[in-house]
Amino acid sequence: MQTQLNQQEGQAAAHRKDAAAANSILVADCGSVLTKVSLLGLVEGQYRLMARGEAPTTLAAPREDITRGIAQAINEIELVTGRQIIVDGHLLEPEQPDGNGVDVFVATISAGGPLRLVVLGAASPALTDLVSQAVSGLYAETQALPSPTFTASMAAGQLTQPGATPLPGVSPLPWTPERLALEWRRQLDRLRELQPHAAIIVGMADGPAGATPIQEACQLLVNAAQEQREKTRLFPLPVLYAAAPQYVEASRRLINGAGEVTRLDPLVSASNLSPISLAASSLYERSILRRLPGSETLWSWSSASPVATATSLSSLVRFLAHHYTMNVMAVDAGGANTTLLLAGERGEFIPMVKAGIGVGSGLGELLKRVGSQHISRWLPFDVSDEELRQFVLNTMLHPHVVPSNQRELQISQAFAREAILLTAEALKAGALSNFSPDLILATGGVLAHAPRPAQAALMLLDALQPRGVTSLVLDRTLLFQQLGAIATVNPVAAVQVNENDAVTHRLGTCVIPYGTLPPDQIALRVVVEYSNGRQVQVEVMSGSIEVVPLRLNEQALLTLYPAQTVDVGLGPGERARAAEEIDGGLVGLIIDARGRPLVLPADKAERQARLLQWSQAIGA
Amino acid sequence: MAYPLGWSVRLQVVVRRERWPGGSRAGAVALVYPGQTVEPDQPVIRLKREERAEKLGGLPRLSLPAVTRKLPAIQPTQAHHLSDTQTALAVPALGEETVPAGLRGRVVDVTARGGVVIESQVMAIQGVLGAGPQVAGVLTLWQALDGGAARSIQQPIPPGAILVVPGPLSFLLLRHALNSGVVGIVASSIFLRDLEGFLHADLLELVNSPNAEDRQSRLPPLTIMLTEGLGSLAMPARLLQLLRCYQGRVALLSGFTSVRRPTLPELLISLTAAEAEALPSQKPDLALAPGARVRICSGDYCGRTGEILSLFLHRQRLPSGVRAHAARVLLEEGEVVVVALACLDRIG
Repeated sequence: MQTQLNQQEGQAAAHRKDAAAANSILVADCGSVLTKVSLLGLVEGQYRLMARGEAPTTLAAPREDITRGIAQAINEIELVTGRQIIVDGHLLEPEQPDGNGVDVFVATISAGGPLRLVVLGAASPALTDLVSQAVSGLYAETQALPSPTFTASMAAGQLTQPGATPLPGVSPLPWTPERLALEWRRQLDRLRELQPHAAIIVGMADGPAGATPIQEACQLLVNAAQEQREKTRLFPLPVLYAAAPQYVEASRRLINGAGEVTRLDPLVSASNLSPISLAASSLYERSILRRLPGSETLWSWSSASPVATATSLSSLVRFLAHHYTMNVMAVDAGGANTTLLLAGERGEFIPMVKAGIGVGSGLGELLKRVGSQHISRWLPFDVSDEELRQFVLNTMLHPHVVPSNQRELQISQAFAREAILLTAEALKAGALSNFSPDLILATGGVLAHAPRPAQAALMLLDALQPRGVTSLVLDRTLLFQQLGAIATVNPVAAVQVNENDAVTHRLGTCVIPYGTLPPDQIALRVVVEYSNGRQVQVEVMSGSIEVVPLRLNEQALLTLYPAQTVDVGLGPGERARAAEEIDGGLVGLIIDARGRPLVLPADKAERQARLLQWSQAIGA
Repeated sequence: MAYPLGWSVRLQVVVRRERWPGGSRAGAVALVYPGQTVEPDQPVIRLKREERAEKLGGLPRLSLPAVTRKLPAIQPTQAHHLSDTQTALAVPALGEETVPAGLRGRVVDVTARGGVVIESQVMAIQGVLGAGPQVAGVLTLWQALDGGAARSIQQPIPPGAILVVPGPLSFLLLRHALNSGVVGIVASSIFLRDLEGFLHADLLELVNSPNAEDRQSRLPPLTIMLTEGLGSLAMPARLLQLLRCYQGRVALLSGFTSVRRPTLPELLISLTAAEAEALPSQKPDLALAPGARVRICSGDYCGRTGEILSLFLHRQRLPSGVRAHAARVLLEEGEVVVVALACLDRIG
């Protein structure tokens, strides 16, 4: 996401110290609810986290300037360190001989809402899915509005195929001209309701409807522009043209003033998603980041262009997977977005950002998608729909609130489980079940601020349902999202801070047996040999969770004896002995023998009893 | 969400508001021009009744050009003439209606859709939740009779009014107000099911819609503003007293509440020059400090108001187990409670 430096930025950059030789680095992460700022500095030749501050993000009136929240968070750092960083509303750069100021400033942003992208033309479920895949690493929402003629021709085609399943949401009634006209009207209404930031036109004009879907896509934009002439913000709409190349000029002429057409390679398969990803990424910067109030000042402060938080986290996760040659999974449960990233030791990378789904302002959309029963299934007490809806509405209106009592805490953690689950489900079928993470990194307020580390561990196990052996690390300092951005200006600092300060809250190693767990019998026998020679043997029953004490900075050798039908990663019944010592953590060695997939009892009383039992067993 | 004007009540503040009755309407004509002074009851927009069956029948044609229809402009002299001869609250001619200014002040702009932007010195009250488009009406205090809600709905309600209800609203009272021709209602609170039942809408979707303004215009024609929120909280005595002072005045009420475009409902009452001079002009301080009046926006005391007695130096462990910066708050009822700063909104 490179942008041209303007003159002011250029001058600021000229005065900056070489970022790689910086003594001090200030990094801000502007979340939808809170802005977190961290000061990194050289301590005995190593970059360390020196102080951090937090303040509400300021995007709305009466404080409509993103830098005001950053400045407020910096004030906290100034109070703690005695270092002056902001002078007369300006960031003091570079670091002064008296120790005031900072050499480098970088920022990541997840505030500002998602990029709303509407898919037009021959928007078949397959092509829409490809577009969603292309933007899955961005804060973006896609919505398909297939052209009426395309929908009609698809429906007609299906009618002629015996046994074909009907198109989702499409009535089997015949497509008369009246119905087509009605559909046309509905699409205009839908477009007005969606208020998209951009449109993408897809389709190769080789179907029974020919080029008509492309024509209709253009026409829809023209009509919408006419109808909404008063909303100058919306039109002309950026239009990504990834359809039949022979009609690009005709489409450009047809759209005329209603859109700014950018030609991309036609979207035909998963192998050519990059142009759409890049174009959408650039649109996100132009339509969202650059339009944030105060963005001009923020850009002028920054040593590198501020990036989306998900992009920064992606960089970190890929780096860790590559550097340590392991499979890394990262989850960020934010207020407005939920992110799940998988990076494999062989360079594989699967991002999934669920924009608009979160535990703050994203609660409404989350509840709408999953329903109240999915939330209440994680609660060890009865809760009415009305109470849940009231909780959601209040949190949406006041996303900065913290849970005041146990009931609110458990409700918010139930929502967090569902947000992560929903994001995991959105990953391409099979991607998650075939991926066995060696390390799971967890970040985001609801996880980082969980009163007990075991609560965060249980949320992760319930929602991600990993298998085999894995390690859980909690980002209590909320640094993970910032490290990728730091790496762009000073990779050494990113690595050193990651090792010294970010990965300090290990929750522990988890053993998760899977396969067919024999009911009411021992699923797994675990032998733990501590570094001091002490040995502990634990038998874990199917359907239960056990925690073996193994504290932070303690190591032990582990031997696992699964029951005949139970797998711990080497095949059913195969004994496993760790080649290296495993690490302890704030929770300990967790053995989750509840089975995969995790099935909650259907009976409410039994389920609530089980939830309490698991919670007590893990120490939540 | 912080109050866009800083505090929930601003005794005197200059605001600029686009006067627009909500929705996407064709044929809106501004009856005033920039620079003109308007009175609250003066018509400022003429609307043609919306005709939904637009000319979209049939399929689109490839060669159709993009046409931008220009709004019919109104000349200043013509507009002046109209403003003198029409009254806002009068019954409009068949097929068209006029929209009163709702505010006293100066027209600073006319928007592309025909909305009129007015700058005015007002007393502003912001609610925590609401629904419905902008309306102007006469502020009327609802006098509850003895015997509670069942009897109070028998009280006649003047049409075209913005009704102030000191206590919680009920579904029945809302229906009664709607049937009586009331245009807006300002109340302390309501249960979520009653509000959604009346609106026939999912409130979570309504406040989270990307095009919330358009959605608001499809609600029943009764704009609602809640000063305290959901539940059964009463309106604070000092707020009721303040509203009582402005009874009989034309006010502008908006119920528009949006999470995506952080907006809260508001009631604006234009001040006369004498009033503006007499009232103190204050810049709202948003800092949570001892002496600040606050509203608790979450937890066991949600909706209650009080005053900060002191702030804790270190983070406190809340009953939830979460550690957070907190304050000791003296509630209106005399109780002292410890509340996380994150759960406090400064209101004065």
